Amino acid sequence: MQRIFVYISSLLLCLSVNTSIAQQKKQIINHPDSTRWLNGFTLHIDAASILTSTFMNSGIYSTEGGFQLDLKHKIFPTIELGVAGANKFSTDNINFKTNGLFERIGVDFNLRKNKPDSKPTNNLFLAGIRLGMSNFNYNVTNVTITDNFWGGSKTFDYPSQNSTKIWYEFVVGVQVEVITNFYMGWNIRNKNLISKDILGEVAPWYIPGFGQNNGSTWGFNYIVGYHFWPQKKAIKNKKISLSQEIKKQINKQ
Amino acid sequence: MKKSIFIVFIFSILLFFSCATEETCIQTKYVKLTLGFYHVNHNDTTLINTTTSLSIDSITVQGMIQDSLTRQYRLIDSILYNNQKKISTINLPLNNFSPQSIFKFKFNTILDTLTIYHSNLNDYLSLECGCIVTHSIDTISMTNHYIDSVKIKIHDVNTINAENIRLYK
Repeated sequence: MQRIFVYISSLLLCLSVNTSIAQQKKQIINHPDSTRWLNGFTLHIDAASILTSTFMNSGIYSTEGGFQLDLKHKIFPTIELGVAGANKFSTDNINFKTNGLFERIGVDFNLRKNKPDSKPTNNLFLAGIRLGMSNFNYNVTNVTITDNFWGGSKTFDYPSQNSTKIWYEFVVGVQVEVITNFYMGWNIRNKNLISKDILGEVAPWYIPGFGQNNGSTWGFNYIVGYHFWPQKKAIKNKKISLSQEIKKQINKQ
Repeated sequence: MKKSIFIVFIFSILLFFSCATEETCIQTKYVKLTLGFYHVNHNDTTLINTTTSLSIDSITVQGMIQDSLTRQYRLIDSILYNNQKKISTINLPLNNFSPQSIFKFKFNTILDTLTIYHSNLNDYLSLECGCIVTHSIDTISMTNHYIDSVKIKIHDVNTINAENIRLYK
């Protein structure tokens, strides 16, 4: 029930963001410049992981944030960092516990093409790739073996296991400037493991940053971020001083 | 506007289906030793031996375990094969906590004892499936009242369906 609530609320949030696009177009004063290489950077956090960790009693928690550079308003190199963990019991009462850091590096491309006569906007339709990595420790405890024919039972643990997993992701999403420099958006990700489980290894149930260890999985992020544009003020001041100089020269004449 | 709502809708449906998690074990956990019965035919004219599958008219198989207190061997109550007719292959469970498994065979009316010496290995499958014990057969000893000889074909006993031992009459 909680899961359905989270999905519905996410969907409504997405819809509200999309309906606000048209309204926001009028409010945007500082349009991005596609001719300049550096157009600032965005720092963001993932609200979806915080919400699911809080409301869904799945034994999984995750928090992540990211840094996204704006190059020519077309290319967006991205670094994402986070911490995730799991405390999961199986139906046979086997316990899997992990806690670890993860990082992703990649790039997004803005696929939104403006019509020649339209104003440029800060709303983005992004598609990109990521390379993710996590080195983490985990414990598998309360593993029980029973022999139904010969009789007997044994319970044991696999403590202090360590694993490093690498994966790649395909990312598609939207990002909208809701208030000036304040962004919201979402993306979905198809994640695929590069490093597979080694035969005989106690395979982890959950990989921080990747999700359940199934070879391929899906992810969803709801991004809330702020765009920093250190050059913007200088450009704005430059424009003002230029306009003042022009006015002065006109007055002189 | 309509287009963007449609895209959001499609992605939300995809997300909903992708989040369904499998929490039950779908792997097989049945570890068994497969044993086949064979008959060797000797052709006197060509001097060539040919092996053919042997169908046992009636077979009864029981496990034998050593009592920890009395040190005497006793039969396990649960009977693996009870007077089974016309059978040429049987599956036997090896002991998960002992390096030897002893089976008492009754071929029609003739009794034989098969002792399998093996090593046991814990094999963790997953959180959903837990752990199984696989085995590696070291040696086999057998009384020769009905069975003539025994041959290990595949030493590793796991969930894979393969013939591990051949018993020749």
